[in-house]
Amino acid sequence: MQQQYILLRGREIPDIWKLDVYLKHGGYEALKKALTMKPSEVIDVVKASNLRGRGGAGFPTGVKWSFIPQNEPIKYVVVNADESETGTFKDREIMETNPHQMLEGALIAAWAIQAKAVYIYARGEYWDLTHALDERIKEAAEAGFIGDNILGSGWSCSVYTHLGAGAYICGEESALLESLEGKLGQPRVRPPFPAQKGGGLYGEPTVVNNVETLTNVPWIILNGAEAYQKIGTPQSAGTKIFCVSGHVVKPGNYELPLGVTFRELIFDHAGGIPGGRQIKGILPSGGSGPIVPATDAVLDTPLTYEDMQKINTILGSASIIVIDETVDMTWVAARVTKFFKHESCGKCTPCREGTYWLDKVLDRIMAGEGKPSDVELINNIARNMAGMTLCALGDFAANPIIHTIKNFPEDFYKHVRAEEAKPAAKPAGRGKAREAAPVAGD
Amino acid sequence: MSLTDKKYAKRIEAAFAKYPDKRSAVMPLLYLAQEEYGWVSPEGIHEVAELCGLDPTQVRSIAGFYTMYSEKPKGQYWLHVCTDLACALRGADQFYAELLEDLGIQDGETTADGLFTVEHVMCLGACDRAPMLQCNFHFHENLDRDKMRALIDKWRAEAKQHMKTSGGSERAGD
Amino acid sequence: MVANITKTVTIYIDDQAYQVEAGANLVAVAKWHADNDIPVFCYHPKMSPVGMCRMCLVEMGSVERDRATGEVILDEQGKPKVRWMPKLQTACTTRAAEGLVIRTNTPAVADARRNVIEFLLTSHPLDCPICDKGGECPLQNLTMAHGPGVSRMAFSDKMKLDKHVPLGDLIFLDEERCIQCARCVRYQDEIVGDPVLAFHERGRSLQIITNSDPGFDSYFSGNTTDICPVGALTTADFRFGARPWELTEVPSICPHCPVGCNISLSTRLDRDFGGRVVIKRVMPRQNEQVNEIWICDKGRFGHHFTRSPQRLMQPMVREPSGRLTGKSWNDALQAAAAALQAAGGDVAAIAGSGMTNEDLWALRQLLAGLGSSRLAAWPPTHGGAEIVAQVGVGQGTNLGRLGQGDAVLIIASDLEEEAPVWRLRLKQAHDRGAYLVVMNARATRMDDFADETIRYDIGEAAQALAGLKASYPEYAQKLADAANLVIVAGAEGLTLDGSRALMQAAANFLIETGHVGRPNNGLLATFPGANYMGLHYLGYTPEAALDIAHKPPKALIIAQADVLADDPQAADWLAQVETVISFDLFADEDASRFAKIVLPIQSFAERDGSFVSGERRVQRFYTGQGPMGESLPAWQAFSRLGERLGQGRAKLSAAAVMQEIAAQVPAFAGATYRDLAKVERQFPDVGGVDLYYGGTAYQNKGGLGVQIPTAADRGETVTPYPAPASAAPRAGRGKLLIVPTTRLYNRERTFQPSALVHPRVPAAYVEIHSADAKKLGIQDGDFVQIAVADAPTLRARAHVNGGAPQGAVIVPRHLSETAAPLVVSVGEVRKAEG
Ligand SMILES: Cc1cc2nc3c(=O)[nH]c(=O)nc-3n(C[C@H](O)[C@H](O)[C@H](O)COP(=O)(O)O)c2cc1C
Ligand code: SF4
Ligand code: FES
Repeated sequence: MQQQYILLRGREIPDIWKLDVYLKHGGYEALKKALTMKPSEVIDVVKASNLRGRGGAGFPTGVKWSFIPQNEPIKYVVVNADESETGTFKDREIMETNPHQMLEGALIAAWAIQAKAVYIYARGEYWDLTHALDERIKEAAEAGFIGDNILGSGWSCSVYTHLGAGAYICGEESALLESLEGKLGQPRVRPPFPAQKGGGLYGEPTVVNNVETLTNVPWIILNGAEAYQKIGTPQSAGTKIFCVSGHVVKPGNYELPLGVTFRELIFDHAGGIPGGRQIKGILPSGGSGPIVPATDAVLDTPLTYEDMQKINTILGSASIIVIDETVDMTWVAARVTKFFKHESCGKCTPCREGTYWLDKVLDRIMAGEGKPSDVELINNIARNMAGMTLCALGDFAANPIIHTIKNFPEDFYKHVRAEEAKPAAKPAGRGKAREAAPVAGD
Repeated sequence: MSLTDKKYAKRIEAAFAKYPDKRSAVMPLLYLAQEEYGWVSPEGIHEVAELCGLDPTQVRSIAGFYTMYSEKPKGQYWLHVCTDLACALRGADQFYAELLEDLGIQDGETTADGLFTVEHVMCLGACDRAPMLQCNFHFHENLDRDKMRALIDKWRAEAKQHMKTSGGSERAGD
Repeated sequence: MVANITKTVTIYIDDQAYQVEAGANLVAVAKWHADNDIPVFCYHPKMSPVGMCRMCLVEMGSVERDRATGEVILDEQGKPKVRWMPKLQTACTTRAAEGLVIRTNTPAVADARRNVIEFLLTSHPLDCPICDKGGECPLQNLTMAHGPGVSRMAFSDKMKLDKHVPLGDLIFLDEERCIQCARCVRYQDEIVGDPVLAFHERGRSLQIITNSDPGFDSYFSGNTTDICPVGALTTADFRFGARPWELTEVPSICPHCPVGCNISLSTRLDRDFGGRVVIKRVMPRQNEQVNEIWICDKGRFGHHFTRSPQRLMQPMVREPSGRLTGKSWNDALQAAAAALQAAGGDVAAIAGSGMTNEDLWALRQLLAGLGSSRLAAWPPTHGGAEIVAQVGVGQGTNLGRLGQGDAVLIIASDLEEEAPVWRLRLKQAHDRGAYLVVMNARATRMDDFADETIRYDIGEAAQALAGLKASYPEYAQKLADAANLVIVAGAEGLTLDGSRALMQAAANFLIETGHVGRPNNGLLATFPGANYMGLHYLGYTPEAALDIAHKPPKALIIAQADVLADDPQAADWLAQVETVISFDLFADEDASRFAKIVLPIQSFAERDGSFVSGERRVQRFYTGQGPMGESLPAWQAFSRLGERLGQGRAKLSAAAVMQEIAAQVPAFAGATYRDLAKVERQFPDVGGVDLYYGGTAYQNKGGLGVQIPTAADRGETVTPYPAPASAAPRAGRGKLLIVPTTRLYNRERTFQPSALVHPRVPAAYVEIHSADAKKLGIQDGDFVQIAVADAPTLRARAHVNGGAPQGAVIVPRHLSETAAPLVVSVGEVRKAEG
């Protein structure tokens, strides 16, 4: 399969981030077209395109927009540019190289729900990027695409950026809204959902969409729902940016139609595994999705929402971390667990305490001080976390444990078996050893 | 000096102009406070609280939740090295160990000259360009030990230059 | 259970159908209707649910209905078919809706509960044996009921955190014990409106902090220790004071202000107190109509005066040498009887607002026997109690029910200082949507929560209210149109006449707009003390006090009234009384300077009695601790004195006195001790053995009291009063208005001995406007002297622009040795040396 640039158009037209270049290549034509359509017609087109949310959950975008009550006077569009999942760097490339297309998509969404403002919530680490984006917004406003009476339509809409400050949880939409309101970034109780009165930004109905999701929209409006549907599979339409990292020769973003297989992506596009080593496992959705062993069956599975389910994992944000044979999967689980322990917001008991506890036991195992029962223990702790929390972070944090133990039990038991053979206690200070992880660089 | 200084007036105004609710400006204003004081100091917290109409407790709570606000004084150059999984698979741990060794400090510490504070952090969205670091929020990617040393030397020289020209009264930028 | 929710729906709990209020909280519903205690930690019925502890997870679904017909679809057994949700759901964030089905008794639910407890215990220390909460701890209880037998978290891995973090002078945090339920944070934010507690950091590092200055500084901080479901928050007063299971709870009433909060005295036999029973702490006792489950910190920490070494232990009689000498009751009563007889009927009595109804009745009987009806209410600062008796808030009023569509007007009162729990409840009424207007001559805390704030000139409260329709027609209309309207009136900046005029103006507004004689409508006065309304109903008036000052009697009984501390002129008129007989709590040489005979009486904590609250609720309290020295309940002392004077046999019990009052004073009909002791189930149901939502406020077993009906309640026609005449004092050239105000924390004798709160009693200060200060050459922080007529000058530090209007000086009462003027006066202010 060939790369096909609906989103990463900067690869073909390097200066498309500039407004004049973007305009030369059909920029803001979709917005103009949308403004001639009724908002409900715009929603219908997006619904028909089968576009699904690229932020992870894959929820149909048009359906989400249609939940917004029409009679509420104040509504918002919030662009989720928090991108903090390990191994994810796609929204960054979109915003760096093709920012106007994202802005245009957000404006079309705002027109579709008749919002009065768009907020772009970017992770704080995207500091330079966001300041550059402010410039793009200014240019677009000067050109009349943002602000009062946009293109003479009588509809006004502002666009603002908001910088986060280092918190993965703020990618979760309700925590994001809390953070945007100047509160702790902790998830809200749902219902009410963001689309409902009382559930969105400042209590107003709000659409939250991922950067990549919205960047698809101008293309869909210009080329029609049918054309979009033809790309990918019936249930997973369109192209998707796959972020490939870890043990590949050419890490980076690859925009390909949904349905490409792991094998094509990793070997044809990303150059395969360095040093001729064997591929061992794949994390298809950063640290949060269930890990899969790199069997032939898995490698030949098409990357779609539906096919990922069949191999007991998720497409999620499609941040594919490739792990080769030199790596100890217990170390992977431990490293990812550190991430979730660090990023748990602390609101729900199972996640707050569970991540802390898992980390403690994994440290013990990595230090060679684990007991065989510790593997059972962490498996059980993780299972007690899954499905028990307000947001999915609890499940995300459970996945690396549950699925690594399931798919790579040997990697776990070798640590604790080794321990059994040794005499009793260890001298203190061995704990440090865990940091010296068995990493194979390239 | 403080946030009431004239030089911040425009940016404070711009922050408030974005949102229908003053409270939302707490995050941008905390960045300003950090810029002014070099860290989110108690004065900074109180000033932000005053500006946003919040209790200082609420502001400190926000400052404590997010990792990009430093609640303790830090060096002029705040270095964040990503050692998260994707970067670690590409040698970030070793890179980080080298950085610490070259600077002669431990994780989270500041060099004796007050120039560098170093921390390891979670994924920064640069996994395909590891090893990488962020210095005062600007990215430096595809690094190795030599490139890292060159950067450190550059910053050292820059800070020295700055000391000379400003009499050492102000912090150097990046 | 919730009066204003009328629609009922059918829900199913563990396969049993219940008819419940639509929209009611599921945890509360399960408790109330099904006696099913869904365990909770973060949920608290007084605050919005956050669903974060995950303890209340249940299986949840809804009854399936046929889309076309709307009929319930039945399964093979004829039971409704249920569509179950795939995951467990939090009951605390769910509201009752038609067809809701939950199961709380399945293995999945039991697992979830056990797991949440296990998770909580991973960081929680096992220091129950030394924890103040041990024995009444929800975490302990729920661990017994639902927890795992053993923890799989190795003990050596536990977190080590700071166990003694003072959040302020009064509250300590044990970081290890905190389970991050955010109750304290939400309480401060939602209920109090002072968001001075918050979480810091995140994940397992989440900790409670305060960053305000000074620390956790709120009049309501103690309540956090009740609602904290573990021993993380404790009071400096009770920390390590006693184990909860050693304590005996005695129902009581807070003696400090007109709210009449129901409290519980936790008492214990104490070695340090001669092996007698002593109060170890004061806890709220639930009375949803009065104080819900809250009390203020003065009520909680201000009990130490009851056993202060300053207490008067034995009767004293002044020798011819001029010295007060200890005597037996017999001798002292003999001396008192002789003095009263010698006065030949020229006798009068001044009773303080902390006297009980029983005391007041006995004192009145005593004077009647001597042929006098000069009964004075002290302090003579607030007029119009008789107007409250006409159009006070209607029987059945519950400030906790005011909300959307209702309105509240607060005038001439600094409510937070005068009646803290009313301030707490009215702030919430505002949050629920009630329209709140605050009128005062200066800014007060209540302004923060007001929809509208109106200023008027000092002393012009009555006029401002009478003219509200003309000057603020829009506000007046909103108040008038409200479904329910309560006017809260104080006497700040007013003379006694002025305060009566204000009550009249308030009554007029209420009568004219039809807001009388109904629950949640009418007048509420922030009278001083716990029983100012009782004084009124038993015939004591503030006017009589002025009359006594004006025309002193030969013999004067002063009962529990600190006249010298309240009235700078008192020494002048007291000097003209031949015999002062003082019934007092304290052996204060200075205060009893004029007394010939001083008789020790008991505090509220040592005896039975009753007060009438500002809402006219007659509430009884019970004997909590052993008596101090030879002190007697005042009613008994009066009664015995009467016996000596041939007025018949002394009564044997407070109950018998109340029986007589109920029979003879119409207002008290139906207020016998038995009536006062009646209780009914309260919602939310707190404090039972199950501690179902983890509050340690006490269940009410001592009685909810009986509310005296107003004239309007009884259906009598109440007619407007004539328009108030201007009674505002005017300061002439070179003079200023001296405005005494009330501070909750002060140096009154009933508060001073509570040393814990001392750091928070401000040093004597006055507030002065910057323009006046400039004219007088006074700078912020200077000492000033304030002279009113021939009274001793008062010395205090000046706060320039602390909130005084121009032309006036705000003088908080009871901060300095010298008394502030009784009411607003004209005086001179100048800079003092050093
Ligand atoms: C813990 C957590 C982190 C998340 N982080 C992100 C993120 O960084 N970016 C994002 O777009 N969505 C993220 N999501 C998903 C969002 O909650 C939300 O589903 C998404 O923004 C919706 O946009 P979409 O419909 O366009 O995908 C996260 C969800 C969870 C539970
Ligand atoms: S201190 Fe108590 S009330 Fe506050 S969060 Fe901790 S456990 Fe909850
Ligand atoms: S989540 Fe329901 S009680 Fe805490």
